[in-house]
Formats: sequence, C-alpha cells, structure tokens
Amino acid sequence: MTLPGTARAMGFVACRSCGLVSTLTDALRRGRCARCASTLHVRETASAQRTLAWLVAGMLLYVPANVLPVMHTNGVGGGADSTIFSGIVSFWRAGAWDIAVIIFIASVAVPATKVLSLGLLLWTVQRRSEWAKAHRTKLYRAVDIIGYWSMLDVVVVALTTALLQFKALGTAEPRPGIVFFCAVVVTTMVAAKSFDPRLIWDTRAADG
Amino acid sequence: MHRQAVLSRGQIAHCIRCEAVIGRYHRVNQREVLALTIAAAILFVIASLTPVLAIEFGGVETQANVWTAALSMDRGSIVGAALVLIATTFVVPMLQIALLLWLLAFASAHRRAPGFAIVLVALHWLRPWSMSEVFLLGALIAMIKLSNWVPVAPGPGMWALVGLTIIMAILGKYEPRSWWTLAEPQRP
Repeated sequence: MTLPGTARAMGFVACRSCGLVSTLTDALRRGRCARCASTLHVRETASAQRTLAWLVAGMLLYVPANVLPVMHTNGVGGGADSTIFSGIVSFWRAGAWDIAVIIFIASVAVPATKVLSLGLLLWTVQRRSEWAKAHRTKLYRAVDIIGYWSMLDVVVVALTTALLQFKALGTAEPRPGIVFFCAVVVTTMVAAKSFDPRLIWDTRAADG
Repeated sequence: MHRQAVLSRGQIAHCIRCEAVIGRYHRVNQREVLALTIAAAILFVIASLTPVLAIEFGGVETQANVWTAALSMDRGSIVGAALVLIATTFVVPMLQIALLLWLLAFASAHRRAPGFAIVLVALHWLRPWSMSEVFLLGALIAMIKLSNWVPVAPGPGMWALVGLTIIMAILGKYEPRSWWTLAEPQRP
C-alpha cells in the first residue's frame, strides 16, 4: 500500500488545538493559527525532553504515593492506616475480588502502563525507529485516553472520609499519600499531553 | 495529508497511516445538542446540590457529593488533593457545560458567540481534565466498600450523575474541533 505524503513533506502544518491546516509559509510568517490563534508547531518544541521530565517526576512521586498511607480509619477495634495497595488487598480478602481488580487496574496497572508506554515511545522516537509506527501511534492514543481513570482511588478516599464520620461506628481521615497519588496522576497526564505523536513518523527513512 | 471527504450518515473517516478518527458524520443536529447541553446543566446542578451518597446510623446522617467529598480532604497537607478533585470533578465539567451553552445559545440565533475562538480552544484543552465519570465509578465503589459496615443509600445526586455521564458521553462524540463549523460566517 502506498501512503499519501505527509503534510509536512507537502508544505502544510495542522493546528494541534483546532485542526485547521495552514501552509508552512503562513505558519512561518504568522506563527499562529489563522482560525484559533494558537501557536503553530511543525513539531512541539522540546516535546521529548518535556515528556521525559514529567515522566521522571511522575515516577519519583509514585514511590511516596504507594509507601505513605492514603487513609486512616478509626474503628471500634482501633485505628489503622491504609495504603493504596493494602486497600486493594483488603477488598480481595473480603471477597470483593471484582472491586479489587477495578482499583488495581486504575491505581497500579494504568500508571505503570503509562510509564512503560511513554518510556518505550520516547526511546523508539529517539532512535528514529521504523518499527510499528502505526501501532505506536495507537499506543499513544490509548495512553492518552486511559490516564485520567487513575483518579478513581482519590475519589473513593474522598467519599469515604466524607461519609465515614460516626463516633460510634468509625471515622476515616485522608493521609498525605493521597496528595502524592494525585500528583502522579497529574504529572503523568501532562507527560502524555507533552508528547507530540508526530515524532513517531520522523524516522530515518522519512528524512530520506 | 488528507483531502476533506463528504461523509454520509454513520460514516467515520480514519487516518490512512494510524487509523485515528479524523471525521464523523454529525447525526445529532444543533437544536438537539442544545437540548442535551441544557439537560446536562440541570443534572449538573442537581448532582452538585443533592447528596450522591448518604449514610444514616444511630440518628446521625452523613452525606457526600462532589463538593463535600473534596472538602473532606481540605485539611492541612491534604489540601492539594482537594484542589485537584474539585477542579476535575466540579470546575472543569461546569466550565465545559457553561462554555458549550454560551456557543450554542448564540448559534441558535445564527450568530457567533463573542470569544468564539477562545471558547473553542478552551474546550479542547479542558476536555481531558473532565472527570465526572471517574467520580461516578468512585461513588459506586465507595458505596460497595462502606456497605460492609453500614447501609449506604444513593441520593438524587447519584441518578443525576448517571444521567450526566451518559449525556457527556453523547456530547463527547463531538470533538471540540467539529464546533468550528457552528454558525460559520458567510465567506465573501
């Protein structure tokens, strides 16, 4: 199958905000999209570097997010701290394996997949690899879409602490781990947004 | 590089290189979208004002919705999480609905809303940070989790949130990019 030429090779650039296609001559002269006035970039400036920086920040924050407790519960039987992982384990032990799986996917699998995928994309883009360009582009879109589901555990902790406020039954309080977890979600989402998927198509062959 | 194609009902255009969706036929017309957006606004107000979950135990009642959930974390070092939560589950969805209403209200009068371009760019960048559906799933999990200890009842806010999630999913099929053709000025 022969593919049509890329817009860049034909002297065009698409706006990443509104999708309007401008000619490169216009883009260089004005620097802004004629329709929505966003800055036009043939490739986002320092996209790979910014993605790497946010990704590393996310990975570092992931450590305290998992080590520190996210919630403290005071029950009749005494108080206990819980981390993201101990929360999953307690659901599993209580027989709620389905809930355990949902929280595991949202809080552990999704962030891990994001970090591994973005790492793979950065590495292959840096090598200007020809390998599986279309699949890597799809991988990027998937990473971009699933990212925000990691906020799930933050919502669960917030609702639990809002609702469980009974002296006779038990109380729940948030703990700093949840702040780090929020920060992981935000930094990895920004990392995904910083990545310019057009870089995947800038291979050695494309440069000719 | 693709040439713009004219799509018929139900057709979706894909990129030949990476299969990304680059165009859809618009099944719902502008008036229906306006009606959906108004419905979303009403449901959003209900979800924000009434309890999503409520517990009654020993004569004491606690309630939670988007606001009280975030406020429960508004203590000391946890305030950062409260801010992210209130931004993604309240401020962003509210802005999305308000901005869309703004555009559509003017469009139904065949006019372009003031700040048309800025509003569309804002909608494009707000979209990934809108997390109403994450809040809904979180509420369902919290309900199951707490029901081990104490009876938890869904409030009107829960049903409003379900409706809101469905409507936002329908509206979400319209990429903010497709709104650019709304009340398009006549080309000279």
